[in-house]
Amino acid sequence: MRAYVEFAVKKFQDKMAYRLDFFMGIVNTVMMIVVYLCIYKALYGDAANIDGISYQMVATNFVITLGLSHAFDYDEMFLEHKIQDGSITGEFLKPVSFMLRLLAENMGEGAFKIIFHFTPALLFTMLYTKLCPPKSALSLIAMFGSVMLGYLILWLISFIIQTWSFWLFSIWGILTIKNVFVNILAGTLLPLWFMPAALRKIISFTPFESIYFTPVRIYLGELDGAEILSGIAVQILWIAALGVIANVFWKKGVKRLVVQGG
Amino acid sequence: MGEVRIALQSLKMSLRTRMQYRVDTLVATFAVFIRESANIIAIYLALLKFDRINGWNVNEMLFLYSILFLTYAFVVSFFADLRQFSDTIREGRFDRLLVRPRGLLLQLILNNADLIAAAGHGTLGILLFVISAGRVGIHWNIFTVLYYIAAIISGILIQGGIFIIISSLCFYFVETNSIRSIFYWNMRKFAGYPISIYHKVIQVILMYVVPFAFVNYFPAQYLLRKPDMAQYPQGYIYIAPVVGVVVYVVAYLFWRVSVRRYYSTGN
Repeated sequence: MRAYVEFAVKKFQDKMAYRLDFFMGIVNTVMMIVVYLCIYKALYGDAANIDGISYQMVATNFVITLGLSHAFDYDEMFLEHKIQDGSITGEFLKPVSFMLRLLAENMGEGAFKIIFHFTPALLFTMLYTKLCPPKSALSLIAMFGSVMLGYLILWLISFIIQTWSFWLFSIWGILTIKNVFVNILAGTLLPLWFMPAALRKIISFTPFESIYFTPVRIYLGELDGAEILSGIAVQILWIAALGVIANVFWKKGVKRLVVQGG
Repeated sequence: MGEVRIALQSLKMSLRTRMQYRVDTLVATFAVFIRESANIIAIYLALLKFDRINGWNVNEMLFLYSILFLTYAFVVSFFADLRQFSDTIREGRFDRLLVRPRGLLLQLILNNADLIAAAGHGTLGILLFVISAGRVGIHWNIFTVLYYIAAIISGILIQGGIFIIISSLCFYFVETNSIRSIFYWNMRKFAGYPISIYHKVIQVILMYVVPFAFVNYFPAQYLLRKPDMAQYPQGYIYIAPVVGVVVYVVAYLFWRVSVRRYYSTGN
């Protein structure tokens, strides 16, 4: 465990070295928030709420979703590059699990972006527009737990596709398509409240709903009491299922690599 | 005439390189197409629920967006090397151009075309144009067609000019990635919506700093005449087709001044 924490801390410190990047990251985040809030405002026009969803709820959803997607912004081509230049073999010599190490590093990077890009931007947004408060202290705490689980789901989906680089020449195309699915079905571009009913139904059977939407609904109190528990249970089930799949692909891929190497 | 031959030769080479990896090229082209469609799908789904955004309906929005894709398909065909110019310098590709008997900028433009992006954006642009152009009430005649073509060319020059200016900054600063992502990619994303919905600061940036408004918003306004045009000078819709030339000339002069620094630090 200590080793993995070290990996995360190291990555965090790496990121600290680029100051201009840090400053521009804040500018970028503020701009994204301002622009998307303008878009939602224009969509709402004069309406106070649409289908019982107020502009303020949409703004809150957007900000939480943006924060989480920031944390998830890392180099998804890492494994492919390691395989292509052969340095992946060095990884097998290290006495740590590659998967956990990668997770730790990605989380370290995510923590950097949350603290230094997202938090300042969030504070700025709160001056600019009013966001919904959490339903209760409990919803706030439950949301943080749920956010971590949402992150894991997103990470596992990405990792599964990354392992395909053991077989494919390049996974860039597939990763891109995956990100489109996440952006639309998880509600990064349009909150799931506004999806056509049929599509919404389909999404509820996929892991995408558990990524951003479950934490947001917990925060807003749309999920309360026992519903929080069932929402989190669904997240855990997806993590278990995706975790098993990720392990299978990883093991098969590693085996294939060894065979190829002679 | 020699330039045309070089351009064709270079295009052929780009094509050949890509065709070494046929399946990968196809998957990548498809991926670009899908990635760019994501915003369109989001707009479509949003307008299914909200009907209009500041008076613009879904077809008008698609028409507005189609101009971005069509122009960008040409932009990446010509300005691919300038898109990530810091990489071009770092990998030493720029030094290679210095010893050849042709203008630097010309070589950068004629060299390398990102055909995958061009195909992905181009297909989507044509598709959106075909879907929307007949349904937004544009009376297509010789004048509107000529205006449209001029606006597209101007849009290409505006974006090419922005690429050149951002690339020129590479001669002054080590790292320009974040500048590019904010001033080109973000602004392009924002230009997908009518600029009238934005905060004043963003509108000013889109009109006068990174003039994306002249790539698609004002040309679309000439053809659509939506009421939100009332808040801008009416002349803007008429000058849109020539803004590109102005931006490009300014960019070219800035490039000429900046590139001298490379010689002096290089030697």
